[in-house]
Amino acid sequence: MTKTISAGRMALSALAGLGFAFHAEAQSLPPLPEAIKSAGLLKAGVRCDQPPYGYKDETGKFAGVETDMAIQIAAWAFGSADKIELTCVTAENRIPQLNGKKVDLLIATLGVTPERARVVDFSKPYRWGGSDMLVAKDSPIKKLDDVAGKTVIMLKGSTQAKWFEDTMPKVESLRLNTASDALQSLKQGRGDAYTHDAATLIVIAAKDPSLRLVGESFAVSDAAVGVRKNEAAWLAYVDASLDRMKAEGLYAKWVEKWVPADIRPFYTDAFTKPKPTAR
Amino acid sequence: MEFDLAYLAAQWPALMRGLWLTIQVSALSIVLSIAVGLCGAAIRVLQVPVLDKVVVGYVEFIRNTPLLAQLFFIFYGLPGLGLKLSLFWSGVLSLTLWAGAYQIENIRGGLETVGKGLREAAFSLGLSPWRFFRLVAAPMAVRVGLPSMLNTSISLLKNSSYLQAIGLAELTFVAIDRISMDFRTIEMFAAICVIYLALVLTLSFFASRLEYRLNTPFRT
Repeated sequence: MTKTISAGRMALSALAGLGFAFHAEAQSLPPLPEAIKSAGLLKAGVRCDQPPYGYKDETGKFAGVETDMAIQIAAWAFGSADKIELTCVTAENRIPQLNGKKVDLLIATLGVTPERARVVDFSKPYRWGGSDMLVAKDSPIKKLDDVAGKTVIMLKGSTQAKWFEDTMPKVESLRLNTASDALQSLKQGRGDAYTHDAATLIVIAAKDPSLRLVGESFAVSDAAVGVRKNEAAWLAYVDASLDRMKAEGLYAKWVEKWVPADIRPFYTDAFTKPKPTAR
Repeated sequence: MEFDLAYLAAQWPALMRGLWLTIQVSALSIVLSIAVGLCGAAIRVLQVPVLDKVVVGYVEFIRNTPLLAQLFFIFYGLPGLGLKLSLFWSGVLSLTLWAGAYQIENIRGGLETVGKGLREAAFSLGLSPWRFFRLVAAPMAVRVGLPSMLNTSISLLKNSSYLQAIGLAELTFVAIDRISMDFRTIEMFAAICVIYLALVLTLSFFASRLEYRLNTPFRT
């Protein structure tokens, strides 16, 4: 891991040379809680259908920025990037997986909401994420309000499902379990639009010329690491790890590693710039 | 986290809407699957050429593949072949095809108990194979097959919960959807288990009444 860290520092000094101000000294992490330490490895829940955050590459290996974050925490905690057990979680099962102790933390595109804060503890936010909609290229939907009276495909338990329920309850929804189900349904015309995290949709739209993004941002929220309630020492450790990732400029490096150059600015902003305002 | 009755009360209307959809989709599928069962069993017993082989193949295919795979095939696969069914009809079709295969075997099992002598008697009285099936064999077979037909219908009712996977807002969908928003796991799963139990008990009750009625000629 020292190699990757020094590579990160090199990238940083390059950026610093361009006039960005960073403080790059490695921060000391608090002691690892006994419960985690005794397990001997980090059990982390990540997404496996959310490129570029958490997904599986062509060979079926876990990939993505959030996956790298989890691996980095394992490397700091146990001294080796191999001391990790990654579990594929979905929007719907991630919190039950955490609270059922199948995993010790979630770095799984988890947006901060009051409902979730009731059942899990959140770390500091590590990035923000907005929502957008994907529609067929020739769709008449040009902005958010155009979906009134139409069917919108969304995932059960997603930020968007909650947002539509609270903000546009008249919109007909088709709620599915996975992003691939949702995309399939959109392409088969089972709904007029598919709403999800903008970050996910940008990747799909870039790959699929028959679809386009509506481009109106809404339901912007922070994404944070989720840990079980009443595990303050572990939460502190995670927070300190996130600070260190930021300080060492690892996010920019990971975005560069996982995101193709043409769509990279959006993701770099999400990790490094303040949250924009939107509905 | 303690059991929150007030939460359950607030979600009750949504659960009832889910229940209503469960009842609709299940009732329709039960009726259709029994129709499939009667037709399929008739084809097998009357040994209709070619068609009886098709029925055997259909029954084997359905019984040896997972219902969820069949459901996904109907919902996501068929549109590729040019047949796009709505959520509701995708659900009805998959449950009907699934239960239909079992109903064929249930009714065929009943038909096996119709004695050879009866068949010969019917034919010597000049009944056509079809009239023999309709007037003699089917009524007797249904009486014998009723308990296993009820079993299949109960399984169908419970298996309607698979339809949550394609986003049909039936009872289980409502529970899982709410849980993914509000995380009231115990409340919701407890509620839907009780509701399913009540549904199945109601179905059993009516089936046993029917069984009793149909048995009237044989009671002393």
